Amino acid sequence: MQATQTCPFFPGGAAEDVAPLLGQRDDLSVSDRSHWPRFGLKGPGSADWLSDAGVALPAPNRLSLSSGFTVLRLGPNDITLLGDPAAPEALTALCARWEAAPGPKGFSSWREEAWAWLHLDGRALEDALARLCAVDLRPRRFVPEAIAQTRFAEVDAVVIRRGGAAEVFFDIAASAAVLRTIRHGGGHP
Amino acid sequence: MTRLDAPFGSRIDRSRPISFSFEGQRFTGYEGDTIASALAASGQWMLSRSFKYHRPRGAFSMAGAEANTLVQVGSEPNLAADLTPLAEGMVVSAQNVNGSLARDRDAVMDRLGRFMPVGFYYRTFMGPTRKAWLKWWEPLIRAKAGLGMVDLAARPDGFDKSHLHCDILVVGAGPAGLAAAIEAAEAGADVILGDESPDLGGRLTYAPEAEVDLTALVARAEALPALRIMTGTVCNGWFEDNWLPLIRGKALHRCRAREVILATGGIEQPAVFRGNDLPGILTGGAVRRLIRHYGVRPGTRSVILAGTPDGLGAAEDLLDVGTRIAALVLPRDLPGHAERIGRLRSAGAEILTGRIEAARGGTHVEAVQVGGRWIDCDLVAVSVGHAPSWQLPCQAGARLGYDDATCRFSLDLARDGLHLAGSVAGHASTSAVIADGRRAAMAALRALDIDAGNVSPCQDLELALAHCALPLNPHPKGRDFVDFDEDLQVKDIVNAVREGYRELELVKRFSTVGMGPSQGRHSALATARIVAAATGRSVAETGVTTARPPVGPETLGALAGHGHVEERRTALHARHLEAGAEMRPVGAWWRPYLYGRGDRVERITEEVRAVREGAGLLDVSTLGKLEVRGPDAGAFLDRLYTMAHANQPVGKVRYCLMLNEMAAVIDDGVAFRMADDVFYVTATTGAVARVYADMALWNAQWRIRVDVANLTAAFSGLNITGPKARDVLQALSSDIDFSPAGFPYLEGRIGVVAGIPVRVMRIGFTGELSYELHCPSSHAPALWDAVMAAGAPLGLRPYGLEASRILRLEKGHILIGQDTDALTSPDELGFGWAVSKKKAFFVGKRALEMRRRLGESRRLVGLIFEPGTEAPGESCLVLRGGEPVGHVTSVAHSPTLGRVIALAYTHVEDAAPGTEVTIRARSGKLVTGRVAGHAFVDPENRRQEI
Repeated sequence: MQATQTCPFFPGGAAEDVAPLLGQRDDLSVSDRSHWPRFGLKGPGSADWLSDAGVALPAPNRLSLSSGFTVLRLGPNDITLLGDPAAPEALTALCARWEAAPGPKGFSSWREEAWAWLHLDGRALEDALARLCAVDLRPRRFVPEAIAQTRFAEVDAVVIRRGGAAEVFFDIAASAAVLRTIRHGGGHP
Repeated sequence: MTRLDAPFGSRIDRSRPISFSFEGQRFTGYEGDTIASALAASGQWMLSRSFKYHRPRGAFSMAGAEANTLVQVGSEPNLAADLTPLAEGMVVSAQNVNGSLARDRDAVMDRLGRFMPVGFYYRTFMGPTRKAWLKWWEPLIRAKAGLGMVDLAARPDGFDKSHLHCDILVVGAGPAGLAAAIEAAEAGADVILGDESPDLGGRLTYAPEAEVDLTALVARAEALPALRIMTGTVCNGWFEDNWLPLIRGKALHRCRAREVILATGGIEQPAVFRGNDLPGILTGGAVRRLIRHYGVRPGTRSVILAGTPDGLGAAEDLLDVGTRIAALVLPRDLPGHAERIGRLRSAGAEILTGRIEAARGGTHVEAVQVGGRWIDCDLVAVSVGHAPSWQLPCQAGARLGYDDATCRFSLDLARDGLHLAGSVAGHASTSAVIADGRRAAMAALRALDIDAGNVSPCQDLELALAHCALPLNPHPKGRDFVDFDEDLQVKDIVNAVREGYRELELVKRFSTVGMGPSQGRHSALATARIVAAATGRSVAETGVTTARPPVGPETLGALAGHGHVEERRTALHARHLEAGAEMRPVGAWWRPYLYGRGDRVERITEEVRAVREGAGLLDVSTLGKLEVRGPDAGAFLDRLYTMAHANQPVGKVRYCLMLNEMAAVIDDGVAFRMADDVFYVTATTGAVARVYADMALWNAQWRIRVDVANLTAAFSGLNITGPKARDVLQALSSDIDFSPAGFPYLEGRIGVVAGIPVRVMRIGFTGELSYELHCPSSHAPALWDAVMAAGAPLGLRPYGLEASRILRLEKGHILIGQDTDALTSPDELGFGWAVSKKKAFFVGKRALEMRRRLGESRRLVGLIFEPGTEAPGESCLVLRGGEPVGHVTSVAHSPTLGRVIALAYTHVEDAAPGTEVTIRARSGKLVTGRVAGHAFVDPENRRQEI
């Protein structure tokens, strides 16, 4: 990340005043991953280009692990790859390859700018998910490769589950409101 | 004091006394009491006055089934006193009284009943007398109507709303529900068991049976990790796909269940006789609830009407707590119960056959008439059977049937994912009810592909005597109530039928039966029997009225929930706060209204002047930003917008106007062609969600090679505007040539400014030289800082939304949604220049051609007012010959011109510049404005194109 970039919960960010709510409750850990690397393609040619680049694509509305990152297939030609800041090399290389490639190669979906990314975990997680989302996210019903494109904490959101935790992607402009709703609305029923 | 010692009073904690007031008088109860049980323990039985006749009323069911118990607690009206838990310091008052509960001046209404026959409203307010409504009836009824008082000073309360998911939801934790929940949870299903009571067991909590160990059953349920128990929870409706609202305290849980078991039990029915509404007349179940739940001895001398064996149980309990049984009234034989009846006779009860004909008393029952003889008593218990709780099943499509031979109601429900269990399914004995609960659970488990066994049906020995239908003949003197809520007597229903209302739904509308807060729990079935008899049909043919959610009253607070406000912030939110902005919500967005402190008009005027004379900086990040890309992107825009885009050169920016199929203007913006196959399109802040959805829909229909991305939050926008805007940008490091020749008006560039990737468009909403810099939002704060630093020596200052609104009005630019309405056509705006004449198709083209054939009736024009003229407000009417022909859409004082200016719709013949039009100002005064050209400032466009 370049030094000039500011995410909402960073100092000077749009939601810096509510950032202290992150991680405030010990039974529900909420952490900000909005600055974590990700790369999204959308539009005609996206799936073909990624497949040609060696990324194994799951079925639409499913996720999978491939080549060191998680692949979210939100639609036939709407794919987002989630990276890990500890090992960003694979994703960085893929981005560079895409930038340099001639078309057709799909178009950037700008998920790294459009989405806030929150990671939720802790003892109260299942209660919080049930309270905040109309989709049944219980592990016995929501299989590991499932994606929910739904409403969460009263905004449009993409919800996935990895390793027992939940991750939520939503309109970055709504960061303050979503964090407040999670904190105040995600308690016990 | 009528409190009993333990073991009576399973719900109360005698070590925790609670003090409260009712009607200004202090009372004491215990934790676990309801308001009604605590008052009953202190001898206060009257809780309310009836709706129409202001008759004394008290608890009847102790199960919240009637409106008799509705009271006001503090600022909250309409709480059921027989369900509401007592709390320390509660201030409880009666409702619907004129004066006080004890001395209600409107009690005289009870003597005026003959002037208010059934259908009173229909007779009085329709036909020749309807003119009397506004003069006489409306003020009178308004003064008398309503239950409780709304506290206008009430503060928002802490309501909550959430979702719940489960494999099986069991509604009702009586013997059937409890057995079903245990069976399902032990088989591995994720189960929620909900019940409105504070404890599990339903009728077993107040009518225990030796063969069922409720304590062990509850312990078994509570030990199951897969069973979530929600006591104190009301299931208030059934909606498609097993979506059920569960209300618990001040929280609304929206539950989605794969399978639902309705074990909602039955509603104990009243007996209909003259004076059957007096306080002290209770159902047998209510008597037993008072004794066993709350340790209250409900009377000293009682009469029991035992139409079913439940009445014998109530009598036995009363004997146990020392209440004398003056008479046991048997309307029919109770085969198999002779031994119990004998024991009651031995204990002093006079056994009478027949029915109760009437009751008398002032504010409490004093005697009942049986076989023409009056028997003194202070308590009457009536047990004539239960009706199934039909509301939830009927909402789910169940049909209610009635067997005239056995007087038994039945429910027929055939719907996947939904099961009836226990009493509501027509079972009576506890063993049969429990067996049916297990059967329902096994059916639900099988539907979930979970292994389940089978349970043998159990012989139901009590079924034959579980229902007793007493005759429903009107008493000659009336006051034999069918509907306590609405004060309707047997004769009222009979008369409604005589009036010609033969269908139950019409009887309901004419008489208002079942329209009260209890929604027909006690009245629907008796009404059906009366209507059936009066029309010569069976009860099954007559049916009951449609059951709709909610099952019981619910507060608006519960529906509204926690009140979280939708809120969106631009990436520059913190920068605005640092700069002293006064932030205001615009739709969901927070935007700077103006900057700095002090006189607002002065601040806004300074901001306008800064733009006109120097340079200003506006955060335009809330603008919709759409990227339309793909080989057919130009063709796609050609179909959607009125201007031509397929032939738009790369690097050019073009205005775009969007119509709907009616040729009404729904949005505008600009399209910057960044590449052959990529357009960057702006949309108005409020419309972008709709525009994006429309684009997606059209794209799905047209199936052309295009993708649309909504980048509204991904990109931020900074508008640098004013004569010195170019100087500001040229002070920044950039690979973009900002010179007039290098970057002409209505062109766009992609490059880097201050090390930040940008898309720049030279457009002009203010009418001044303007550049709009768009960058990825994470870079926006840094870009803002760089621009502000570079512009500081040049006097650059941020300006807010109000200054922006004035600047655009001075330039004559419209705001979609403010200056347009649902019908505005491009021609009415004078935007014929923005509509391509060559394109074969764009959305709205056909309608636009048809509308042109009809001709225009109005035109949006600029108006300028002479100094000293009263400024009209937005929405003020424009008149022509005294008739309204349009209205003002925008108005402001122009600091640049020193005049009030406006945009307004006028008659099309008044649209020529210089025409004077008349407007009715807010004060009612008629003021004159003069039509100006398309812009008040710089109509030649020299300033924006320098």
